[in-house]
Amino acid sequence: MLNEFIFNIAVWIDDTRWSAMLHESYYMYNWVESTHVLTLMVSLGILFLIDLRMLGVALPDVPASRIAERLNLPMLVGFSVMVITGILLVYAVPVRSAQSVWLRIKMVLMLGCLVNAIFFHRQLSASVSSWDNEPRAPRKLRIGAMLSLGGWALIVMCGRFIAYDWFDCQYNDSELLAVVAGCIDGQTRF
Amino acid sequence: MPASLLGPYTRTILVIAILAVALAFALSNARVEVHGNLLPMFEWMETTWFGYIGKTWGAAFATVEAVHLLGLALLGGSVIVAEGRLFGVFLTDVKQGVITARCNRTFNIALATLIATGVFMACGVALKIYYLPVYWYKMLALGAGALFHYLVRQPLVERGPGEVNPWLLKLMAIASIMVWFTVAATGRWIGFSG
Repeated sequence: MLNEFIFNIAVWIDDTRWSAMLHESYYMYNWVESTHVLTLMVSLGILFLIDLRMLGVALPDVPASRIAERLNLPMLVGFSVMVITGILLVYAVPVRSAQSVWLRIKMVLMLGCLVNAIFFHRQLSASVSSWDNEPRAPRKLRIGAMLSLGGWALIVMCGRFIAYDWFDCQYNDSELLAVVAGCIDGQTRF
Repeated sequence: MPASLLGPYTRTILVIAILAVALAFALSNARVEVHGNLLPMFEWMETTWFGYIGKTWGAAFATVEAVHLLGLALLGGSVIVAEGRLFGVFLTDVKQGVITARCNRTFNIALATLIATGVFMACGVALKIYYLPVYWYKMLALGAGALFHYLVRQPLVERGPGEVNPWLLKLMAIASIMVWFTVAATGRWIGFSG
């Protein structure tokens, strides 16, 4: 039911002029994809430094509150660009994206990372005054940082795997995978 | 006894010498000859274990690609934060030397990860990339970036505060960001070519 709904929306988007234009434009599509990947260097790179600071691996002698506060804005700018270009990539290839098991896992992981980030920031704001200059954050924050690092590493992997067709609907024999990927009675379109 | 035979300008002379050699190489027939002579090495790369694994197990290749991207992210973060500090945008209330030294450590780890995973990936598609001009542009950009980072940027930022003109540091920060984003962009473009 839900998979059919998603499939129908994807087909509708696929039939729009702009989606086809973006998909068919060699340079535009590749520029959008390149921007999506290159913004990793801004958003995820800064996030990694913040998380590694909490673990005491990077910048251990810089107060944690300063790292988290000052680098938050450029990180969020990077993430915004990444989200916009990510939406454009799905918009350009909507049906295959809607039926990609990797994209679905990526979305779930991103949701998990978002929840983790909210808890992490709450915990950080509440406790930072007591350990700001310590090289390592308290245990709860370290766990949050590790979850963030692990989660984003998996997100990058899933993002990379989307490009491969291992589990695309037309090659998929497993019923479970077909449900998870959202395959509709062999209906696929690119 | 002097610390260096070339006096206080060892690195400057070294960089100019490398640039002169690179220019002479690019403008002469040596470039074409060397490219031809490198073919057997690329053919050999595909026969190594890395090449075999890369070509046989797509999942292994894709996983290494993802680790390559993670290394790229860490390198980008280190460059952005360090150069942002030099440019006076980020963490201006923390000593410049602390930020650049700490970021240099993560930069080194990231660069080592990129090179290690990059060699693995290159072995899997060695003959494809050998014929791709964009691969050679990337190698050129990577070499220029590494030389710039270790021979030009690091010696300058390691000097004490006030010893280097702040505008020079700002120009250097812009150059550093541009060179590493060029490395990343040319790397991404390899995937679109061939």
